[in-house]
Amino acid sequence: MLKPRIGGLIAAALISAYASTALAQETLKVGALLPLTGPAAPIGLEQQQGVQFAVDLANAQGGVNGKPIELVLDDSQGKPDQAVLAFNRMADLDQVPALITAFSSISLAIAPLATRREILVMNPAAQTDKLADASEFLINTIPLVNAESQVMTKYAFEHIGKTASLLYENAAAGIAGRDDFRNHFEALGGKVIAEEPVEFGQTNYRAALLKINASKPDFVYIAITQSHETMADQVGQIEGFPVAVGNTFSRPFFGYPSTEGWYQSAIQSNNPETRTLEAFKAKYGTKGMGFFAREYFNATNIVIEAAKALSAEGKELSGVNLRDTVLKIKTFKSPIAEITFHTSTALRPVEIQQYVKGTRKVIEVATPVAQ
Amino acid sequence: MLYIQLLVDGLVTGCAVGLVALSFSYFYATTGIFHVAHAGIYTLSGYIALHFVKLGLPFVAALAIAIAVAAGVGAFIQVTLYARLEKRGASPLVKMIASIGVLTVLQNIVALTFTPNILQFDLPWRISLVHVFGIGLSIPQLILLIVSPLILFAMLAFSRWTPLGKRIRAVASNPELAETTQLHPERIFIYVIAIASGLVAVPAVLVGVDQAMQPYTSLLVLLTAIIAMIAGGIGSMGGAFVMSILLAVIQSVSVMLVSGRWSIALVFAVFIVFILWRPEGLFRRNFNRQI
Repeated sequence: MLKPRIGGLIAAALISAYASTALAQETLKVGALLPLTGPAAPIGLEQQQGVQFAVDLANAQGGVNGKPIELVLDDSQGKPDQAVLAFNRMADLDQVPALITAFSSISLAIAPLATRREILVMNPAAQTDKLADASEFLINTIPLVNAESQVMTKYAFEHIGKTASLLYENAAAGIAGRDDFRNHFEALGGKVIAEEPVEFGQTNYRAALLKINASKPDFVYIAITQSHETMADQVGQIEGFPVAVGNTFSRPFFGYPSTEGWYQSAIQSNNPETRTLEAFKAKYGTKGMGFFAREYFNATNIVIEAAKALSAEGKELSGVNLRDTVLKIKTFKSPIAEITFHTSTALRPVEIQQYVKGTRKVIEVATPVAQ
Repeated sequence: MLYIQLLVDGLVTGCAVGLVALSFSYFYATTGIFHVAHAGIYTLSGYIALHFVKLGLPFVAALAIAIAVAAGVGAFIQVTLYARLEKRGASPLVKMIASIGVLTVLQNIVALTFTPNILQFDLPWRISLVHVFGIGLSIPQLILLIVSPLILFAMLAFSRWTPLGKRIRAVASNPELAETTQLHPERIFIYVIAIASGLVAVPAVLVGVDQAMQPYTSLLVLLTAIIAMIAGGIGSMGGAFVMSILLAVIQSVSVMLVSGRWSIALVFAVFIVFILWRPEGLFRRNFNRQI
């Protein structure tokens, strides 16, 4: 009986020594579960650039723990079922402690897995309200639809009109946008007189636009994430289409004769410092750093900053520790945004912008009230 | 006026889908191959035209190149894939699965070559409106409205009165007999897929000019076209075309009666009722192939 006990002790001591050495030399693996193919790929590829750029930049500066950060990319195809498979691959094969997600339906699908596997999931762009408490391991670096809608709705009710029609994408973010707008608007005393869904990636909006136009509202609230250019063209073909208001995802509406005078709310998100911006443009051959690239760059940097803090304390780079450290650091300042986590969802200022003579005029800035 | 505008929009969409249904039906009725990759050729041809317009070619020349490339790609698929599978005795199901594979490859080639972004043609006239009896139509919509029925009639005439059209009909009605009577079905199949692929380039380019293009959305267009083909009567080009228009008009006008989220469901409901009432389709045809 004695021999096995001694053997066991020796084995335990060896494992413990190996584990502590391994801990000291731990490499940060960051997963990125993005829609790299399928209709959402245009957005996914921009998000990938943001994540990749952050990792490359951090690695050029020594990585974490003196070791390069390892980026594990996988394709969700924009589909929750594929995302779940990819999540499991990342958890089982790559054992990532943290990953960056995209899209509301996908983030909601992987949220229970994140809880079970104790993997930190950073969400830099999905906005459906259900993400607020989908998982204790899910951190949203962008305010959710409810917060943004609160600011936009108040402005629209006070300055644009009392009746509205809703045009929304029949997907998680669009439906959340519709519900939040309706709730806030009706609570203020406004009246929603029509609503019409459109499908993700659709390019023929004529029937929906004609129906909305026929309802003759004071303004239209539009919550779509794709094909803005096409919708703007088709709005221009309908005489007397009412002024519209949108959200952060409405940015591509800017610059069309048919959208002159339109409004949108926008999460404050600025360019990084000039050197970083120029390096990004040179690397990817782009004219600028788009919203998604900026937000994914920033969210990846938050994970890296937390990992560095953990590393300095000699703690394990686990999902639990990374999550706790992000929430403990609480405020992350960068030229892109100042992000504060009072809860697992960031609070950030929201701008009301109007498209006036080729410019996005900032009319008002407000920080939503935490709910 | 609103209902008339919706009806006309449905009519235009129906014309575009009708050309897809007509071309799909022509190949399917002749070969018995469920050519899902037709949607990939639809996608590819739109992007080909876009590419040549970007290079500065006149739109008509770009359209002609897109038609030629589509026909060539179709023929290539027939020679390198379907003909080989046929020689190996592959079942229709195997050919359909292979076709799905080709569709995926084509879509991803387009996405990798041109970007998966939604792209629009840089043609200033494409959003200009023309008013016909008070109804606003964009120029690409108007072209579709005029060209589509002309193509249908041209195809009917080709099938009925030209030697090649007659040979194709002979092969479609009895491939075994066609083989023994030296009609060379394998050669005919190449002609048919080239014609069908060239045809599908027309709505692909015109819809792309009118709206926008994305590599992954053509399958939904094909699905609607297939429904129209079945409801119209497999093997009947006119039936597929008329049913496409009927379904598209129902989908468009129904938006005023029900929420848009139900419009596709409504189309399927109409299809189910129609097929229960008239299982052979709108225009009865002798179609005995194994599906």
